[in-house]
Amino acid sequence: MNPAEIALHPFERPASLAELCRTLSTRAVRKEKTVLLAGGTDWIVERRLAPLESPDDLPLVLDVSRLPEMRAIHVAKEHAAIGAAATFLEIKSHPVLSRRVPVLTAMAREVGAVQIQARGTLGGNLATASPAADGAAALMALDADVVLASVTGERRVPLTQFFTGYRATRRAENEAIVRVEFALPRTGAHQMWRKVGTRAAQAISKVAFAAVVELEHGRGVRAGFGMASVAPVTASLPTVRALALAPNLASVSEQELEAATRRDITPIDDLRSTAAYRAHVAVALVKCFFRSLRTAIGS
Amino acid sequence: MKITFVLNGRSRTIDAPPLARLLDVLRGTLGLTGTKEGCGEGECGSCTVLLDGVPVNACLVAAGQCDGRTVLTVEGLENKDGLSDLQDAFVTEGGAQCGICTPGFLMAARALLAGNPQPGEGEIREGIAGNVCRCTGYQRIVESIRHAGKERASREPG
Ligand SMILES: Cc1cc2nc3c(=O)[nH]c(=O)nc-3n(C[C@H](O)[C@H](O)[C@H](O)COP(=O)(O)OP(=O)(O)OC[C@H]3O[C@@H](n4cnc5c(N)ncnc54)[C@H](O)[C@@H]3O)c2cc1C
Ligand code: FES
Ligand code: FES
Repeated sequence: MNPAEIALHPFERPASLAELCRTLSTRAVRKEKTVLLAGGTDWIVERRLAPLESPDDLPLVLDVSRLPEMRAIHVAKEHAAIGAAATFLEIKSHPVLSRRVPVLTAMAREVGAVQIQARGTLGGNLATASPAADGAAALMALDADVVLASVTGERRVPLTQFFTGYRATRRAENEAIVRVEFALPRTGAHQMWRKVGTRAAQAISKVAFAAVVELEHGRGVRAGFGMASVAPVTASLPTVRALALAPNLASVSEQELEAATRRDITPIDDLRSTAAYRAHVAVALVKCFFRSLRTAIGS
Repeated sequence: MKITFVLNGRSRTIDAPPLARLLDVLRGTLGLTGTKEGCGEGECGSCTVLLDGVPVNACLVAAGQCDGRTVLTVEGLENKDGLSDLQDAFVTEGGAQCGICTPGFLMAARALLAGNPQPGEGEIREGIAGNVCRCTGYQRIVESIRHAGKERASREPG
C-alpha cells in the first residue's frame, strides 16, 4: 500500500481502556478487523509492504499511544509495571529502571535510534512478535508477565508462554496488552544485554542476548534468559537456565554451555546472517556471561 | 478528521485523513517542504521533526496522533534575526552539502542540544545515529553541532 492508500484507514482514539476494550469486543464478535496503533514503527512499515485492500475491508485503527492506563511506568520496592504504550525513550530515561534493571534500559538505548525510541513501545514490540524483537528478549530474561485486558477483565500470561509461533501470540482478538510486570532483580544481580549486529544504530540484530541471574552463596537463585534472532520466537534458553540454577554452577564446563545453548536455539540463514554464525555468537555470549558469574562466585 | 496542533509556535487546525503521514500533511496540506522524504520507512531520518520536543520520523507518524500536540519543523528554527545559531554553525562548519539530509540533522541536533548543551563526540554521534548523510562523511556535521554548543556556552557564561 502506498501512503495515500494507508491514509484511508478509519481511525478512532478511545478515551479510556474501558472504551478500547468495548470497541475491541464488539468488533471481534462481528468479525470486524481492528488494529491497535502505538508508535507505528512496525505497523506503518508493514502496511507499506502489504498488498492493496479494498477500502471497505480496511481494519479500524485504534490509537492507544496516549491511553493513560497504558502509559504509566510504576516501580515499587520489588516490582515493576511498565505500560504497553510507554516508549523506549521513556524506559531508557527512567532513573530507577536504569539503576535496578540495566538489562532493560541498555536494550531500550539500542533500539533503532532516538527517532524510533521516541515512538516504539513494548506493547508493539511484543504484539508484533518478531523473533528479532529486542524488548521481548530483555523482558524474557526478567521473567515478565504480559497483562492483557478485555471487557471481562485482566489476565496475565508469562512471557515464556506468550509466543505460540512465528509472529503469533496468545493475545485474543478482543484483548489489548496493557502492561508488562516483573519482579525487580535484587541489587547486585548479574544482568547483561548484548546486541551483535552490523552497526550500532538502526540495524536489526544478528543476535541479541539478555540475562538476569541472582546469586546466593555461590548458587543461582533466580535466572532468566532471552535471545533474539535464533529461533522462530524469542528464545528463553531453558537448558542454559537450568545450568544457571544447578548446584554446581561454579564448575559448569564450557562444553556443557555450548551443548545447552545449541539445544535451545534453532537459528536460520537469512539476509542478515547465517545459522552457523548465529549459533557461534549465541554460544560465545552465553559463555561470556557464565564466565562473569564464575568470576563473581570465585571472588 | 479535524486535527489541531501547535506547529512552529502557532496553533493550526487542518482537515486531513487521520492516517495520512505527518510528513505528507506538512509538505502537502501545509506547504512546508523543508521536511524531506528519503526512505519513507524510518531508516534515514531526513523527515525528522520534533513532536512535543522529541525527534520522530514524520514518515511513521499518523497525522491523527498529532492532535493536541506540538510539532516543530525546520521552518520553525529561524528566529527574528534570521538563521538560528545551529543553522549558522552548519553553514560555517560545512555541515551541509547537497542539503537533503540537513533539515533532519538540524532537528535531531536541536533536540540533542536542548537536553545536553555541550555534548561530546560520542553523544553527538548517538544523537544523530538515526540520520543518514550521503555527502559529508558525518565529521563536519559532528563539528557543526559541537560548534553550536560551544558558541552558545561562550555567549551565556555560567
Ligand atoms: C528504523 C527502525 C529500526 C528499528 N529497530 C529496532 C530494534 O533495534 N529493535 C527492535 O526490537 N525493534 C526495532 N524496530 C521495530 C519496532 O520499532 C519495535 O518493534 C517497536 O517496539 C514497535 O512498537 P510500536 O509502538 O511502534 O508498534 P506499532 O507499530 O504501533 O504496533 C505494532 C503491532 O503491535 C500491535 N500493538 C501495539 N500496541 C499494542 C497493545 N497495547 N496491545 C496489543 N497490540 C498492540 C499493533 O496492532 C501492531 O500490530 C525498528 C523499526 C524501525 C522502523
Ligand atoms: S523518510 Fe522518514 S526516516 Fe527516511
Ligand atoms: S548533505 Fe547530502 S545527504 Fe547529507
